[in-house]
Order: sequence, then structure tokens, then C-alpha cells
Amino acid sequence: MSNDILNTNDAEFSEDMLDFDDDPLSATGVSRKSLVIFFLIDTSGSMKGKKMGELNTVMEELIPEIRRVGEADTDVKVAVLTFSTDVKWMYSTPISIEDFEWARLRASGVTSLGAAFRELNQRMSRNGFLNSPSLSFAPVIFLMTDGYPSDDYKAGLRELQSNSWYKFGLKTALGIGQEANDNILAEFTGSADTVVHAYTGEQLAQMIKIIAVTSSQIGSKSMTLSDDSGKELGDEDVFAAKQKLLGQQIQELIGNQTDGSDIPFDTGW
Amino acid sequence: MIELAIGQEVEMEFGGTAKVLSVIGSGGQGTVYLVKFNGQKWALKWYDIDKMKKPKAFRKNLQDNINDGPPSSKFLWPKYLTKETEDGTFGYIMELKPEGFDSFVDILNTYKLEIDPLTGHSMKRTVRFASLSAMVTAVINIVNAFRQLHRVGKSYQDLNDGGFFINVQTGAVLVCDCDNIAPDGSNFGIGGKPGYMAPEVVRGIAQPNVQTDKYSLAVVLFKLLFRGDPMEGEKVVRDVCLTEAAELKHYGQNAVFVYDPDDDSNRPVRGIHDNVIKFWRIYPDYIKEAFIRSFTTGISNPEKRIIENEWQKLFLRLRLEIIQCGCGRTNFSSMFVQQDEKTFKCPKCGMEFASLGFTSRSTRLPLYLGCKFYTCDITPDSDDFMTVAGELVENKLKPGVLGIKNCSGTKWKAKMPDGEFYEILPGKGFPVWQGLEIDFGLVKAKI
Repeated sequence: MSNDILNTNDAEFSEDMLDFDDDPLSATGVSRKSLVIFFLIDTSGSMKGKKMGELNTVMEELIPEIRRVGEADTDVKVAVLTFSTDVKWMYSTPISIEDFEWARLRASGVTSLGAAFRELNQRMSRNGFLNSPSLSFAPVIFLMTDGYPSDDYKAGLRELQSNSWYKFGLKTALGIGQEANDNILAEFTGSADTVVHAYTGEQLAQMIKIIAVTSSQIGSKSMTLSDDSGKELGDEDVFAAKQKLLGQQIQELIGNQTDGSDIPFDTGW
Repeated sequence: MIELAIGQEVEMEFGGTAKVLSVIGSGGQGTVYLVKFNGQKWALKWYDIDKMKKPKAFRKNLQDNINDGPPSSKFLWPKYLTKETEDGTFGYIMELKPEGFDSFVDILNTYKLEIDPLTGHSMKRTVRFASLSAMVTAVINIVNAFRQLHRVGKSYQDLNDGGFFINVQTGAVLVCDCDNIAPDGSNFGIGGKPGYMAPEVVRGIAQPNVQTDKYSLAVVLFKLLFRGDPMEGEKVVRDVCLTEAAELKHYGQNAVFVYDPDDDSNRPVRGIHDNVIKFWRIYPDYIKEAFIRSFTTGISNPEKRIIENEWQKLFLRLRLEIIQCGCGRTNFSSMFVQQDEKTFKCPKCGMEFASLGFTSRSTRLPLYLGCKFYTCDITPDSDDFMTVAGELVENKLKPGVLGIKNCSGTKWKAKMPDGEFYEILPGKGFPVWQGLEIDFGLVKAKI
């Protein structure tokens, strides 16, 4: 064995013994992997009222639940991008879930989804919001909207789709009310099974929780290996394995939810 | 899955019902509830059978494990099954984790996040071993638990950081999540996590078994001692994002140990892996060599992995070599200056330590106030590394005079300065001097 790997133990070594903190018990926490959860939230005028009220309430309640998810071996951070006429970050950098506090959102203006995609693309980089020196898991990106985009969302999405963090990220979307278009949302997530739709306040609260908790659980951990193939796995076998798992779990969980009996968002205005 | 409601009564297989009191937590396979059964509180694990590949076989295996009983008291073992519901859902109850145990994850993080149930705000409570001896004892206990499990022909299958609780004061260990334990060679559809799973399992070409348990055990031991990931170095960090393909590569197809002597492509990175860099300087060569073997030749040759008994011997030696100096410095004897074959010197304050050699051990026990040896040190073939047999103490009637107290239940003989051997009854002691010899019966020791 080379001496680089194993120290020798002669008397001259005594000098080296003291040139650093040699306490075998004083350790810092194991280097944790980081995970950023991006919430893209529609704050256009149509969200005003019950929808925004429900959303603010459920997001406040959600933060402690995600804290429990992240406590294991991943440093979970949250970034919230709102879009209406303008796009705006709730805080200027992602905030650790331990310190994160929800700032209540207000609704007004139009639905600039394309601008939101472009803004996300710019910040989702090593020089932007994903600047942790240690390893990162691919981000979780959760889009919530209640309307048809008022700008060219396709151009924005094309930019975003060239981003590697987006490519490997866990993407989910929640359509709120009758106006939201699930096909557009599926274009964003890349798969229909990670798109869900809420028509009532009760559903909205349930679904935000299910999606946020499930996606952060999957996103903050290594992939789970199944063990029944017996054949050597290649990159193509594991590509987007987490996104597929997320789709399955969301479908299972949503399937188990019974329809709420309260009044749909889009009626009674 | 069918969740249980608070207050719901769950029928047990052999009669009686368990009443659900609250949720303790949920994991990949199901949810754990606090329940009351027969007037006592228990933990109930309730499975999400939709996520199981072979629920019938899984239940049968669980039943077998319950019938066999735990390999030792270190296992928080399934106790009773619940009756199957109409759709086949079931669970089992086990004893609650006793007070005073922290999870392995919290130990690695060095703190536990305690969440105020009212405000949801979190507070950090420091989690740290009370002594070096407690930490090495915890390692010995983990190794010993797996030795006991493998000796009854079973494997743990999905060993990872969620599976242990440790008492940081004493080093006592509890192995939890015992429901996936199965006879070696059988498998009920349990997955695992890259990083803990053996590379051949990550690659999909082997199923969990006793050999893959040995790899996972080495990972757990490395994480506990070196406080980092044995395969996460420069090569991995360069990839920035740990995608599924990156995990397959770095923990499966091309796993490189951070201190592989023949491959320096994956060394720990300063600023990220400072723990590993620091602790690699502290541990003696025989410990480092065992990890090098586990994570180099042991990657491609599962049969070359270190067996539990070998780990146990190495860590019993390590615990014996701890020196607690009067100046406050506590470290392994390899981090002290070795004056001669039998004397160690503190590089910080210059204090010297004589040592005691046992015929049962190849290494020597440095003598300092409070140092201990155990039943396994004075009894051939004993596996009892928890019962203190002797301790170096100060004479209560003659301050400043140090001696060894017989804490065992057997009679010893010790050579006194007059050259004669005297009987030392349990509870009695004798002074430490230059020519001290001790006869424990089958094992002897000498300064």
C-alpha cells in the first residue's frame, strides 16, 4: 500500500498528530445532498377569492409536512415563482425548508406562463439557484394554474426544455377549475400521469399536499431499486425512473380520494 | 392503500384487537401507528399491499420470523400479526422503541430536528456520542447483531441508515425494520437504495443475500466512523446532479472507493468531504486496510468481503486501544507517540501510559484512570464485550494509588510487589506496578 493512503506510525509522526483537530468525536454533519423544490404558482386575477385563499392556507400547512420529509439525509430548499402579468420570486434565493415561511400571495393580472418558463430556465442553473457545492438531486418542479396562458407559452417551454435540470427534474402540475388545460400541463410535465385536476376547494387542498409531499419524498431520496429483473441494468432502464414512480404514486393516491361534495370553483360566481 | 383511522380497532390474528392511537410515521412499505393492545402500547406496521410484489409470501415469511423469534435482544422484532382484512391487507405489532435511542440518520446529521406540534417550527437538538468508547461499542454492537442474524441463516436485505437506533451514551444498538429479514437466498420483492446496496444489486445482476448484507454493513460502519459516503468523491461531485443514471454509475457499474490506493480518481473533496479527510488521518492502519479491502477487491469479489467476526475482532482491538489522557485528549493509541513496545506518550501534554498485554489479544491495553476490559478479554471464545470485567480505579483510602478492580464474578490471581501471587476476589482490587502479572484462569495478562 502506498504511504498516501495509510499513515506510518513512527515517532516523527507526533508533529503531524497535533496539526489538526484530531478529536475522533468532533464531526460535522455528513455532507447532505440538496434538493430544490420549485413551486410555479399562477397568481392571475382569476385565482382571486376562494382559490387563492385555499392555496395560501394549504401552502402554509404544507411547509411543516415537507420539513419532515427532508430531515433524513437531504437538505431541502424551496423557491416560489409566481406569474401573473409579471413573474416574481417570493424570495430572492431558495430558502432552506427549516427556515422557510410562506408569504401570502394575492391575485391580479393575466397568465404569463411562457414568461414564467423563461424565468425558471434562467435561474435553474449552477450560477443561479442550484449553486450548492455538494451533490444535488434533480429539482422538483410543481406548476399550479387555473387558466389558459395569455402569452406564448410554447416558446418559453422550448427554452426550458433545453435545460438539463428540467430534463432530469421531477415535474408535476395541478390544473385548477374548468379553464386550466391539462394538455398544456402535460406538455410541461412530459407525462399525463403527473398532471392532476382540482375542481373544488377540498380537492385543491388534498391534491397540493399529495403532489408536494410525494414528489419531495421521491425527489429527496435515491431511486429505489426493484430486484426482479435479473438482467444488468443500463442507463435507459433507469432513465426518468423517479418521474415514472411519481406518476404511479400520484395516480394511486388521487384514485383513492373521494370527490368532495362542496361547490365547484367555476359555479356560483 | 387503506389507511387506518385514529380510534379504529384492528383485529389480531390470535384474538383481541389493537386500538389505533396515533400515526408514528410512514415509509415506502406502509405506515406505522401507535396502538394499544392487551393494555400495553405497541407499534403497528400496516402495509400498503398494493406496493408489494408477493404479499402472501411476505406474510408467510413474517409469520416464520415471528415463530423463530429474534436472533438476540438487539432486534426490534415483529411480535404478532394482525388478521388479514378481506382484501388481504395486514400488519404486525412490535414493541415500541425504548427511550434514549437516537436514529442513525440523526447521529450522521449530528442533530435531531424536533418539530413543535403547535407552530410547526423546528429546533435542533445535538446528537453526539458521549465517549469514544460508546461509539466504538456501537460499532461492535452493529457488527455483532449482523453476525447473530447471519448465523441463524437469515439476511437483512435492505440495510440502510433507517434501520438502526443507537444509545449515544452507552453504544447500545437496536436493529429495526426487521420485517424484510428473510432466509438467505429468498427474496420477497424488496428493493433498496444505491449507496447502501452492494454494486451487484444496484446493477440488477444479484438479489440481496448474506454477501450483499456484508457490503451494506461495511457502508454503515464507514458512515458511522468516517461520517461520509465511501463512494462519494471528486468523480461523483463532478457530475453535480445525482440523476438515476449517475447513481447507477457511481454506486453500481463504476463504484470507486474514495481512498482506493490504485485509483485516485474519486478522492474526497475538501469543503464537502472534510469529515472523511480528517478521520482517515486518525484511524489506525488495520481499520483503514479493512475498509480498503471491502471497497476495492470486495466490490467485484463478494466472497472477499470482510466477515462479521473479523470486523468484530478489529473493533474490539480498537476499543482496547483508546487512551483517555489526563489533559482531556481522547484518541486511539496509534495517535499517541509509542515510546517503546509497552509505553505510549501523549503528544500534547507528554503524559506517559504503561500498558497491559493479554495472552488472548495481540495488542496491549493502555492503562489510564477509568480504562476497562471486558469478559471477552479474559475468557477464551467469549462474545461478551459489554460486561466490564476490570477497571483501572484510584484507591478510595489511598488517594493517588491506582489499581485494577475485579468487576467480574470470578476469582483472579495477581502478582504483588513482593513477588507472590495473591487471590483477588470479585469486588476487590490490586495496585498497578512495574512487574504486575494477572492470572484470570485461562487468560493471563502482564504489564
